[in-house]
Amino acid sequence: MIAQGILLMTGGYLMCGLVFAIPFALVGVGKIDPHAAHGSWGFRLLIIPGTMFFWPLLAYRWIKGVHEPPAEVNPHRCAARKGAQQ
Amino acid sequence: MGVEYTSVQWNRQKRFYDFALAGGVGAFLLLFGVISKLLFPLITDEILLIRAFGAAAFVLLHVILCIGPLCRLNRRFLPLLYNRRHAGVTMAFLSLVHAVLVIITYHAGGDTNPILSIFKGSPLVGSVAGVPFQPFGFIALVILMLMAATSHDFWLANLSAPVWKSLHMLVYAAYGLLVLHVTFGVLQAEVSPIYVAITALGLVIVLGLHLTAAFKEVALDRSCNDTPGNDGFVDACALADIPEKRARIICLSGERVAIFKYDGKVSAVSNVCQHQNGPLGEGRILDGCITCPWHGYQYLPDTGASPPPFVEKVPTFNVRVKRGRVFVHPKPNPPGTRAEPGVIPVEKIELQTA
Ligand code: HEM
Ligand code: FES
Repeated sequence: MIAQGILLMTGGYLMCGLVFAIPFALVGVGKIDPHAAHGSWGFRLLIIPGTMFFWPLLAYRWIKGVHEPPAEVNPHRCAARKGAQQ
Repeated sequence: MGVEYTSVQWNRQKRFYDFALAGGVGAFLLLFGVISKLLFPLITDEILLIRAFGAAAFVLLHVILCIGPLCRLNRRFLPLLYNRRHAGVTMAFLSLVHAVLVIITYHAGGDTNPILSIFKGSPLVGSVAGVPFQPFGFIALVILMLMAATSHDFWLANLSAPVWKSLHMLVYAAYGLLVLHVTFGVLQAEVSPIYVAITALGLVIVLGLHLTAAFKEVALDRSCNDTPGNDGFVDACALADIPEKRARIICLSGERVAIFKYDGKVSAVSNVCQHQNGPLGEGRILDGCITCPWHGYQYLPDTGASPPPFVEKVPTFNVRVKRGRVFVHPKPNPPGTRAEPGVIPVEKIELQTA
């Protein structure tokens, strides 16, 4: 019973991702990452499986109108940012 | 570094490696089939295919896991690293074929859902009763699919390199699960101890290489002195320690810094490539740019910025050259900020080239 429920939920999550992936690969991906705006068809097809896993994150960025991939966090970049604010 | 994303950025070298990869996998599958038929003439075609694809994936996984530490130990393996991604995706694909064949052969057609059936006891006669080895394979497969699905640079940029790298570090969890999968599954069904020996040997090689490479890295970080002098600059190294057009790596502000010497100048940048965090300091200056040894992203040494139209940037550090030694300020400048290169006095250059 429980196992069946988990399986059903996982399946549902991935299906939602697949549905989301279609408009995302066509339009959304170019909105959240400028490098993808003129991405090839092969590229658009290739990101569909990953979109099925990570669709809530991508949907959030698309809705929020984020236009750039996030800046990386590492000790040097953090220290540089702190220095620039002072 | 691509200005526009495409599916695969092929070039001559990648084509060559892909060709070798496909040829290697094909030859392995064929050889495995022939040898199995000779040793076990009664084996069915389904089981033969299941075993061949499972074994091919597992062997390729060993190769992939060894590439990283081999590159840390010897630069000659770097071309393999450059081409590792396609090997990973191929390995995930081989695993998927193995799993789908198992599901069709053993789990489909019954009353239970095929996925649930994987978790409900093992249909293999001969494996020690009660040891459920298939769930290990299943979880590993989920990890491998997740990695293959996120292997494009788009995911690297949008999940950010540290998150993406953590995700891809799960390959070690997958490897552990697969060692269990193979140990509990086949090894107990097979009478011959040779399978145990081969799996154990694989484990020893993978672990041994990783430990050796890790010890080398730890020794490097330990050897760093980062106490600044009165002017705030840290005495990093002797000028003569840096080969021309190459770098010396030191540790400052919690991360490695690459100090490059080129054309009578010295510049320091964060050692962490913006692409997949490759070690810039193990790269070279080519065409006036620091060139990452992993996949060839380029940065100007004084600004830490990729030449246009590329947009990658790494933090820079202020440097001074005094009395044959290089001094670096530990505070990083924001990525892409120009830092005046340290100038090597002319007589030093003449001395060194003489
Ligand atoms: C849903 C996931 C999986 C299931 C249900 C599954 C199931 C099985 C089964 C039933 C066998 C025994 C085959 C036989 O000898 O008749 C087997 C063997 C094996 N599996 Fe998997 N597996 C899965 C995933 C994987 C993955 C991801 C790998 C990755 C590398 C893998 C590698 C192997 C290997 C190396 C063998 C031994 C093959 C040999 O006899 O040489 N399996 N698996
Ligand atoms: S890590 Fe890929 S180019 Fe530097």
